[in-house]
Amino acid sequence: MISPRVARGTPVIVMGISGRVGALQSRLMKEYGTNIVGGVSPVSERNEINGIPIFASCSDAVKATGAMHCVALIAAPHLLAAMTEAVAAGIKYMVTPAEGMPVYDALLARRMALDAGMLWIGPSTPGMAVPGDTKLGFIPNDALRPGPLGVMSKSGTLSYEAGYRLSQRGIGQSVWIGVGGDPVKGTYYSDLVPFFAADTQTEALLIIGEIGGHEEEDLATALKVQQFSKPVYALIAGRTAPEGVAMGHAGALIHGNHGSYAAKHAALEAAGVRVLSSLNEMVEGVCAQLR
Amino acid sequence: MYLLEHDAKELLAQHGVPIPAGRLIDGDETIHRPALPPGPWMVKAQTFSTGRGRAGMIRKANTLQQIVDHANAVLGATVRGQRIKAIRIEQQVTAAEETYLAFLIDPAAGGIRIIMSARGGMDIETLPPALIKTDVSPPDYTSLVACARRLAAAMPSHVAGAMGAAAEMLACIFIEREALLLEINPLFVKSDGRWVVGDAKWIADDNSLFRQPKLRELLRQRPATYPASHLKLEHGFDYVVVDPQGEIGLLTTGAGLSMMLIDEMRDAGLKPYNFLDVRSGGLREETTRLVQVLRWIAEGRNVRVLLVNIFAGITDLGEFSTLLVAALRKVPQLKVPVVARLVGNGLQPAQATLDQAGIRLFTDLDSALDEVRGHLAKDRESTP
Repeated sequence: MISPRVARGTPVIVMGISGRVGALQSRLMKEYGTNIVGGVSPVSERNEINGIPIFASCSDAVKATGAMHCVALIAAPHLLAAMTEAVAAGIKYMVTPAEGMPVYDALLARRMALDAGMLWIGPSTPGMAVPGDTKLGFIPNDALRPGPLGVMSKSGTLSYEAGYRLSQRGIGQSVWIGVGGDPVKGTYYSDLVPFFAADTQTEALLIIGEIGGHEEEDLATALKVQQFSKPVYALIAGRTAPEGVAMGHAGALIHGNHGSYAAKHAALEAAGVRVLSSLNEMVEGVCAQLR
Repeated sequence: MYLLEHDAKELLAQHGVPIPAGRLIDGDETIHRPALPPGPWMVKAQTFSTGRGRAGMIRKANTLQQIVDHANAVLGATVRGQRIKAIRIEQQVTAAEETYLAFLIDPAAGGIRIIMSARGGMDIETLPPALIKTDVSPPDYTSLVACARRLAAAMPSHVAGAMGAAAEMLACIFIEREALLLEINPLFVKSDGRWVVGDAKWIADDNSLFRQPKLRELLRQRPATYPASHLKLEHGFDYVVVDPQGEIGLLTTGAGLSMMLIDEMRDAGLKPYNFLDVRSGGLREETTRLVQVLRWIAEGRNVRVLLVNIFAGITDLGEFSTLLVAALRKVPQLKVPVVARLVGNGLQPAQATLDQAGIRLFTDLDSALDEVRGHLAKDRESTP
């Protein structure tokens, strides 16, 4: 499997480059330093956008550029088709930011990505970044700063706020991956534990979570089983939110009691994670360790 | 979207699934004998919370008077913080085995999990694991039906046939309607092999509503029952009044940061009025969405200040602030000071636009919150 860390200069193509979001974000990524070598748009009649050559299909773009990394700035109802095209073209690392992907499409996409050995980050994600080198997606520059902290996040905006405050205090990130907040997706926190354990530039890990689902609980298990030895901090949104929708007896039978703030807090703390209850507390906790 | 039992059952019935005859009674509606199915009956509270049975909100009735008495006791009662606004009165199913059948999306396994047990009912979670059979199938009809048949074959022989037939039928509906959870507990199995759905929990995928006309139709008929999903369907974003007495209107984007902001405001003794994930990256150069949100916030009687908090990733703050100023002009009924906290792409043009409109801009959230506190304090001084 391809590394979650994307090296500086790695060629990247952008699907959906001629749309409003595609045109703006491809320019911003390029300005940040991402090596955008091509864009895909079956409808655009232009040869280039922001100085990026445009191809009619993903396979044309891959053939011409040799890129294996791809960002798809494409609306949710069309994501599955775009991913099918990308897999067939030989893409091995795909970031899909769109929110609102139907769960069944995500199930099919997940199986397809696994079968093809493609690392899929998304849906509902701002993407990933290696601060100072490259970013695939739109994590804001104000929040990015090279440093020792690995970041995994289910929530885009909350991770921006966390990264921004830590950056202001001089603490930057090694690799930042927005795994996205959907229940069915390409990459879960726990999938990334071996990578962050081995990544020599990561000294500590910050988890940005949200109530609902059981991903934080699964992460806690993975950290314990894999004996992850770097410090881990977590910030979880929704502490005062009302109890969400329970998955009936079926959810309890399979996952036990999970999803609430209390359940996540307990599972993570039991795995040695420091769960911090506010942004300021998180900043102070991380600073105390890393500065 | 979690469907009420009544809606789940009626949708299943549209697919030919056997359910007990019944009808929904909403609020103050009078109960007439001719409108009811033949007795005896069950009177069942319709709520989204679990534990209705244990809370005594599912009751048996043999006479019309008993139905009326139960209805009076149940309607308006509260289960786990949720007020009961409707009941379903349906024909009792007698002399049947109670079994259990569930389908749910299993994210980690990347498929659909089926759970089956010959012993259903409220105590399903405490059964010994040996009495519960489960397996995961890829998300296609053929595999799921085969998986359902395999599990049913492992059930005791007197219920295996009926459970297999039920599972096969429900497997197809589960995929066709793109459900996230469909739990039948109990699934009644009669001695002659017929089966009936005793209770149904159905969670639908809000993201697939655009290609699920039957679920869309349900939402449009019953917006008051499903306010959050209806709002998302009609407007494309999430908005919830979290405290009708709240003092601070929030114009925010991103669910995580908006939730954390509410958590921290409450810790600090502030009273946010609403949760909002306006998806400021998807405004498409139109004020419609912002105007709608500002109108709703203006309905908050105690709202005294509006806090705008946008950390722009996909959003262009220049475009956003132009739309914000235009939208505020279109909602003159919102007569409160506006505090803006913006960070990210397009901040410079945003600064100029907000300056011109006389809106103070902060890039630091704590400073913006101090400004909000200042406005609330001023407001208290000026109100006698």
